[in-house]
Amino acid sequence: MKKYSVVFIPDNLKIEVDAGTTLLEAAQQAGIHVKSTCGGKGTCGKCTVKVLNGVVSGGQGNIPQRLREQGFILACTAVVESDIEVEIPMEFRLHEHQVLLDDNVENEGLLAEGKLDILGDYPLDPLAQKFYVELSPPNLMENASDYSRLITELKKHVPAKWLNISNDVLKTLPDILRAGDWKVTVTVAFYEGGGEIVRITPGKDDFPAYGIAVDAGTTTVVVALIDLSTGKVLAKQGTYNRQADYGDDVISRIIYADEFKGLEKLQKVAIDTVNDLLDKVFEEYHVSIEEIPVMVVAGNTTMTHLFLGINPKYIRLEPYIPSANHYPVVKAKEIGLKINPQGLVFNLPSVASYVGGDIVSGALVAELDKKDEITLFIDIGTNGEMVLGNKDWLMCCACSAGPAFEGGGISFGMRAMPGAIERVYIDKNTYEVKYKTIGDKAPMGICGSGLIDCLAKLREAGIIDRSGKIQDVDTPRIRKGDDGPEYILAFAQESGINKDIVITESDIKNLIRAKGAIFAGVRIMLSMADLPIEAIDKILIAGGFGNYLNVPDAIRIGLLPDLPQDKFDFIGNSSLKGAHLALLSREALGFADNLGRSMTYLELSIGNAFMDEYVSALFLPHTDLSLFPSVTE
Amino acid sequence: MAVQLLKERYASEVGTVVLGATKEQGGTRSVSLTVGGEAALPFQHYEGSIPNRPIIAIEVTDVEPNWPEPLKEALGDVIKDPVAWAKKCVDEWGADAIYVKLDGADPDGANRTPEECAKTVKDILAAVGVPLIVVGCGDVEKDHEVMVKVAEETAGEKLLMGVAEQENYKSLVAACLGNGHSVIARSPLDINICKQLNILISEMNMPTDRIVIDPMIAGLGYGIEYGYSIMERGRMGALQGDKMLAMPMICTVGFEAWRAKEAWASEADFPGWGAQKDRGPAWEAMTAAALLQAGANILCMRHPQAVKAVKKNIEQLMETK
Repeated sequence: MKKYSVVFIPDNLKIEVDAGTTLLEAAQQAGIHVKSTCGGKGTCGKCTVKVLNGVVSGGQGNIPQRLREQGFILACTAVVESDIEVEIPMEFRLHEHQVLLDDNVENEGLLAEGKLDILGDYPLDPLAQKFYVELSPPNLMENASDYSRLITELKKHVPAKWLNISNDVLKTLPDILRAGDWKVTVTVAFYEGGGEIVRITPGKDDFPAYGIAVDAGTTTVVVALIDLSTGKVLAKQGTYNRQADYGDDVISRIIYADEFKGLEKLQKVAIDTVNDLLDKVFEEYHVSIEEIPVMVVAGNTTMTHLFLGINPKYIRLEPYIPSANHYPVVKAKEIGLKINPQGLVFNLPSVASYVGGDIVSGALVAELDKKDEITLFIDIGTNGEMVLGNKDWLMCCACSAGPAFEGGGISFGMRAMPGAIERVYIDKNTYEVKYKTIGDKAPMGICGSGLIDCLAKLREAGIIDRSGKIQDVDTPRIRKGDDGPEYILAFAQESGINKDIVITESDIKNLIRAKGAIFAGVRIMLSMADLPIEAIDKILIAGGFGNYLNVPDAIRIGLLPDLPQDKFDFIGNSSLKGAHLALLSREALGFADNLGRSMTYLELSIGNAFMDEYVSALFLPHTDLSLFPSVTE
Repeated sequence: MAVQLLKERYASEVGTVVLGATKEQGGTRSVSLTVGGEAALPFQHYEGSIPNRPIIAIEVTDVEPNWPEPLKEALGDVIKDPVAWAKKCVDEWGADAIYVKLDGADPDGANRTPEECAKTVKDILAAVGVPLIVVGCGDVEKDHEVMVKVAEETAGEKLLMGVAEQENYKSLVAACLGNGHSVIARSPLDINICKQLNILISEMNMPTDRIVIDPMIAGLGYGIEYGYSIMERGRMGALQGDKMLAMPMICTVGFEAWRAKEAWASEADFPGWGAQKDRGPAWEAMTAAALLQAGANILCMRHPQAVKAVKKNIEQLMETK
């Protein structure tokens, strides 16, 4: 097949591609991550590039007028026809982002992320431990093999019914035993009542065993390194899920997985995303990959399928059946994860197609199953899952809110990271804006908590009406943009990206849809349980949309039910915290299985009830104003 | 043993709207009409009071309408003169109100100026004593100018003016608000948009007793059941206490019924369908009868014979014995 060279500007990166490759595929091969929310269908208009030299065919699709006039084309529909040079402006790329964590901002009236006691009532009994053993050396009279000598001694120390060793580890045994003068440290990872010998090192090793907790989200992935002897987080890193190159939501990923080699690619980029984060974690806290015997992953059902390379196709098709809700324990080397190749990888169980291990993880660490009071747990993420109940009963549903509160599908939306606008104030008389960014950096975009604030403040100032329409008010901050009216939050000269940061009317409509879906989910759950909203004793909000949650504003826009502020708690990334807990407690991991099984799943796609609730929630705060007495007073 | 009827008790009732202002009330009407106020589903007198009967507003256009021939024949020559037409509606056909449609304002048609339109409305006001309902030609830009002018020139008459829609309600509402008129809030067969629009309009400080819902309906045989179920939902909402669904409802019966082929097709084309002169009004009357059962408070109608039949129907339905 004919090959062409493609040079990417400004990186000046040159790669060879086959004739017939699209520019989007070429960029992916070059490791440049271009925004593409439609998964390469030419409909989202995000993957705009400019050909500087050479010939491409195609390139048409949904491109904003302004960009088309400047000579931009779509990378996903443009096919390379000669050696070419293309420019991909930095603003159209997915950037590596550090996810800000544990940086609680103290603010009056705002709910900062609560510190969860990770272990709770569970005893510290980690998934992997190191055991130091001293063996008696063999002689002609006592001639048991090295392996049985080790096992006999180990069994005295290791709380496991059986022990397993792989051939790869066994191969290292004879030399290590002798190098350590029959004194060795053995790392054992536990599963299903038994133990896997992951690593043997000579002599006494005083370092603790380490574990990795992973939150494999649709939009973002976070990895934490945990000291299994103390439970402490030693390092933590987050970034965008690189699967976003293939679509913003799980549905477009499932569709992509069904294409030629699609599943393989999605699995690879998911693993690559985690591996890159592992590199950064190990840079932040110096340990070698061999020292990591265990990893726990919490992801939604689709992400877990993709992570393990299981086809998620049938999740999307009626009657929406996942391949599995409980996943086998796999070795790291089987799926290419960069921890100890013999290390065990646990995926937390799912409940159903659209309520996954991330929610089981959250429910586990929030101990929903241990409480008398009725708790509503809401994960404000791409899928918008929620769990309602107490120690006697639990029900759950997912309302596909979309990634708006994680910054997806919003013109200047971004993750909660330095430079993200997280609080907004708008003067009711002058329509002037004040804002606060994370890390007090020049603003680069706006994160979920900023968006909640922004919507409430725009409404309060009368800049938008209850249906989200931008009003004709007299301020230079309102102007006509490519997608209709928009409001300027930060002018180019004050921003960190040399561009006006705006929120458009279609962004506002997206946010209203996202909050409408979440509130509709809450209403349906309550009506199914036949409970009035006042019957909820506690509402736990999870999600990575910011460092805090502005409860009054979230109620004002109709995202959260109108209840007193003391009923709310914000627990941050509960998916990661649950994975952390499972690493520290074998009992908790076992319990996650039960928890997954004991939740009743409500399929919201059955009947019209959800749709009716959703449509009536597409208003600020709601078309039934009596549900929000404190807002309408 | 006597049968005990099960009675439903509702938490609330439909709101009322007054059409037209008499001299004492600051206008020139000889009567003012109150619509709405029912505390039960339509005509269920045994469950709650139905204080005001539904009214019929006969449609008059400011320029000769392009309506089906049999309809125009029944109306006669007056269709060339809106003032004479309105007078005949009241004097001969018993209209409770006149529904004036300012089609002449249409920039693609007669393109009459706002001043000309306002004059037509004032002339009709001078000729008849009943309340007026006035709507524009449907061209958003032009209606804005026309309705503002009409509202100003007729200040105090308590007209019912239309139509305010979700994308375009502010200027009409403001004009009604400032000149003491009421407003028709139209939503496209959608209970949520209906409610949202009522909230948006009342947030401009328009009192709820000056808003009338136009739920948009369809003629008999053309999806009337969609209109019916939306109206029914609205009424149930109102009776259960939802103030933002509790406004009286207006239905453009004549417009929808006469779009139906069954109303206007000739006998030559469809000999099996019966006499054309009866078929059209029957279609209109039946459309109206169905919508009365859904909770309509104001029926905008066209054909004198249909009006006569529906008036009789209303009379019978309002009998409490």
